[in-house]
Amino acid sequence: MNALRDLARQLLEAGEVKVVIGYEDSRRGVRPAFVSDPADVDRLIFDARCVHNLATYLNPRRGHVKRLGRAAVVVKGCDARAVAGLLREQQIAREDFVLIGVRCGGVFDTPDATGPLDAASIAPRCHGCTVREPSLPEHVVGDLPPEPPVGRDLDAEVARLMAMPAAERLAFWNRELAKCVRCYACRQVCPLCVCERCIVDKTQPRWIEPSAHTRGNLAWHLTRAQHLAGRCSGCSECERACPEGIPIHLLNHFLAGVVRDAFDHVVGDDPDAPAPVGAFRKDDAEEFIV
Amino acid sequence: MSEPSNLKHIDRAQLAGLVEALAGAGTAVIAPALRHDARGTVGYRTVTTMADVVLDKRPDNALKSFFLPPTEPLLHYERQGKDVTLTPVDPSIGPRVVLGALPCDAAGLPIVDRVMDWDYRDEPWFGRRDATTVIALACDKADSACFCTGVGLAPDGASGSDLLLVPAGDGFLVEVYSDKGQALVDLHPAFFGEPRDQEQAQAFRAGLGAALSHADGLDPAAARAWIEGHFIDPAWPALALSCHGCGACAMVCPTCHCFDIVDEQEGVAKGTRRRNQDYCQYGLFTLHGAGHNPRGDQGARIRQRVSHKFAIYPDRFDAILCTGCGRCSRACAAGIDMFEVVERLAGLQADIDEETPTGGDL
Amino acid sequence: MNLYHPHLMRVTERIDETVDTVTLRLAFQDPAVAEAFEFRAGQFAEYSVFGEGECTFCIASAPTRLPLIECSFKKVGKVTTALSRLEVGDTMGFRGPYGNHFPVDAWKGRSLVFIAGGIGLAPVRCVIDNCLDRRDEFGDVTIVYGARSVSDLVYKGELEAWAARADVRLVKTVDPGGETQDWDGQVGFVPTVLGDAAPTSDNAVAIVCGPPIMIKFTLPVLDKLGFSQDQVYTTLENRMKCGLGKCGRCNIGRVYVCKDGPVFTAAQVAELPADM
Repeated sequence: MNALRDLARQLLEAGEVKVVIGYEDSRRGVRPAFVSDPADVDRLIFDARCVHNLATYLNPRRGHVKRLGRAAVVVKGCDARAVAGLLREQQIAREDFVLIGVRCGGVFDTPDATGPLDAASIAPRCHGCTVREPSLPEHVVGDLPPEPPVGRDLDAEVARLMAMPAAERLAFWNRELAKCVRCYACRQVCPLCVCERCIVDKTQPRWIEPSAHTRGNLAWHLTRAQHLAGRCSGCSECERACPEGIPIHLLNHFLAGVVRDAFDHVVGDDPDAPAPVGAFRKDDAEEFIV
Repeated sequence: MSEPSNLKHIDRAQLAGLVEALAGAGTAVIAPALRHDARGTVGYRTVTTMADVVLDKRPDNALKSFFLPPTEPLLHYERQGKDVTLTPVDPSIGPRVVLGALPCDAAGLPIVDRVMDWDYRDEPWFGRRDATTVIALACDKADSACFCTGVGLAPDGASGSDLLLVPAGDGFLVEVYSDKGQALVDLHPAFFGEPRDQEQAQAFRAGLGAALSHADGLDPAAARAWIEGHFIDPAWPALALSCHGCGACAMVCPTCHCFDIVDEQEGVAKGTRRRNQDYCQYGLFTLHGAGHNPRGDQGARIRQRVSHKFAIYPDRFDAILCTGCGRCSRACAAGIDMFEVVERLAGLQADIDEETPTGGDL
Repeated sequence: MNLYHPHLMRVTERIDETVDTVTLRLAFQDPAVAEAFEFRAGQFAEYSVFGEGECTFCIASAPTRLPLIECSFKKVGKVTTALSRLEVGDTMGFRGPYGNHFPVDAWKGRSLVFIAGGIGLAPVRCVIDNCLDRRDEFGDVTIVYGARSVSDLVYKGELEAWAARADVRLVKTVDPGGETQDWDGQVGFVPTVLGDAAPTSDNAVAIVCGPPIMIKFTLPVLDKLGFSQDQVYTTLENRMKCGLGKCGRCNIGRVYVCKDGPVFTAAQVAELPADM
């Protein structure tokens, strides 16, 4: 923690960044913090409650954040994958921000958790984590905590769904998506949802019905999952943000598996690694883009 | 708080019997229940048996959505050549009973009534209100997000309720607060007995304040004064830094009622005009067709939300558009804490008042 | 039936005012509604194309000319594009009238100065015609109207009718560069032309509507001519949906444009917070 604060103080005092975007404690748990004054760096913390993916605050359309000036962002390894995605798609430029990586031993599913980090309380994104020591950030702080406990296995959950007959699977999603109220928290919190005009907001023509009936909800979520296929960094913030408890990240996780099997590609934290959409390889399975 | 017009007792077996009787007679019973979804969430939904009802957990969704649904049809249209036929949607619905409403959810209903009745009576809203009897349950589930007492309500308050249940002995003390509530009791005499174990109900009530003590001393009037005097202020963009601009807070809120009206085609020449819940945090909420957006940044939008609730609605309708239920704070993925916001704004006003004494000794 | 249920209207005439502005003339399909319908100049309505949605415009025709209902609009989005494709005989929806109105009765005996720019003439035109239909109740009537170019002027037929009246002083103008060879009006921005025309502020009221930039420069001119802020009226617009105070969209601070407006005095506008 001290290393984190010292680094933040140095960056701010040197004028290398105007704001450090990290985590702070509050009366209701951990939340994102925006520290512009070097005297305030003691607000910054990092512990297992720091579940938020702060990469989303690098979205250039977050005007108030952008206006604070050049930022340093505290990222876990999984968050760094999202940053890599934004770099890969040239939404942001590497020289415009600083990354402070933190070595991570897993995080809780909620930022106000108390008690031990165990199989029941650990966030699903931590399962099978290979980026406990993030490589993209130019600074990495903190000691490497022990291996995280093994919690919810998204692969197993997707497999369970895929083992259902199609009608049963559809019934599952209809039941879950009937709860969706179209708050678009899933979209707003997602670091990779960066379209200036989201498809669901377009009216000429209206591609997706805006009403929160099951039919419209299915169209919205399936379209969003498709638009994230091969791009989603697997942070599952969408699922954490959903006020109705819909396991929408399972859709993204399923499509990540499809992309892995069809294109031998997993989203990683190397911004120079080409993505399936937007890159052509000589050994591509298809001869042409169609 | 108003006094109940009548007192009864209902034990757990009688409550179960009441639910079966209502459901059996075609009355929809809405109660907090397991939603039988992947995450095992508890939310308000229609139940047919007491076995499904969960009274010891806060429901995740808002009771408001049963009166202003996420989407509802307003009318149907069908085009034939150059003509159009409109089919109205009947605003009256079958009878409903809400069982186990949180008092903060129930209290939101009469608050929203005021705007829904402002010069024009909103029949879809009142059709549902008229058809529904609300049985609230005094609440011992307060957590740090809650602040109902800070906005003039109470965890055992009866605002918006027709009947209020307070745990007592083998069941609940039943307090009757309206004709509708009395009518329900009169219709089902087998399930309501004479009041007993009232000292237990009192003891239950007495224990409710501790979990809400952080809200004692909240000064929404001071927050209102600050809001009204600080339309342009760096506090607004500061508050907006972490906000994602989604509608989670508005959707789970007992009093947020802003909506959109859209037409949806259902076939070649027909469709439905719908009313959908909408939210002011959304970037396109106030976008003009010609491109101008008066609330084009998140600071302006957060200002709209906070000032609508704590300044504008009190100004126009004499009520705070917030019941202190805390759902917005729990739902917010960015950890924005509404209680803390109101406390901070009230504090800013208090600082101003301190610096500008209005008389007396110096 | 609920309060969002619209009246059915028949399009009786369609006028292309400019390349992207259309006026539709409408008649109530239900004769009983046509008979009973009333409104006051300045009020607005929600017009709809079934299948596309609703849109908010003022009622551009005068109440003295009922049962005629007219709306004028610019093609900017989904609903206005659909409206612009309607033909004579098509059916539309109409919900209203909503909002407050110009206090025409309170202006009796006073001189009237109407100032408008571009499509901003639409909400003003209803009150112009309303007053001209009661001409002897008012003093001098001056109309200052301008647009970017000759082809951007709306209600060209109306302009001719007003010009032809001896009891109306019409000053029409186009922005410098917007004139044609046979243009017989002024050349200059509306605020400048207004200053030159210098109508008296003595026992007068001014009604202004147009693009925000025009209003911004017109108000100081009116002030210099001696108009107090209570003597100047305008009509505001904001994004609306319900039109009747419930959907929470159009408010500017505590002021609901659909209920406290859309007609405001300049004094009231000056008090509005900068949520515009």
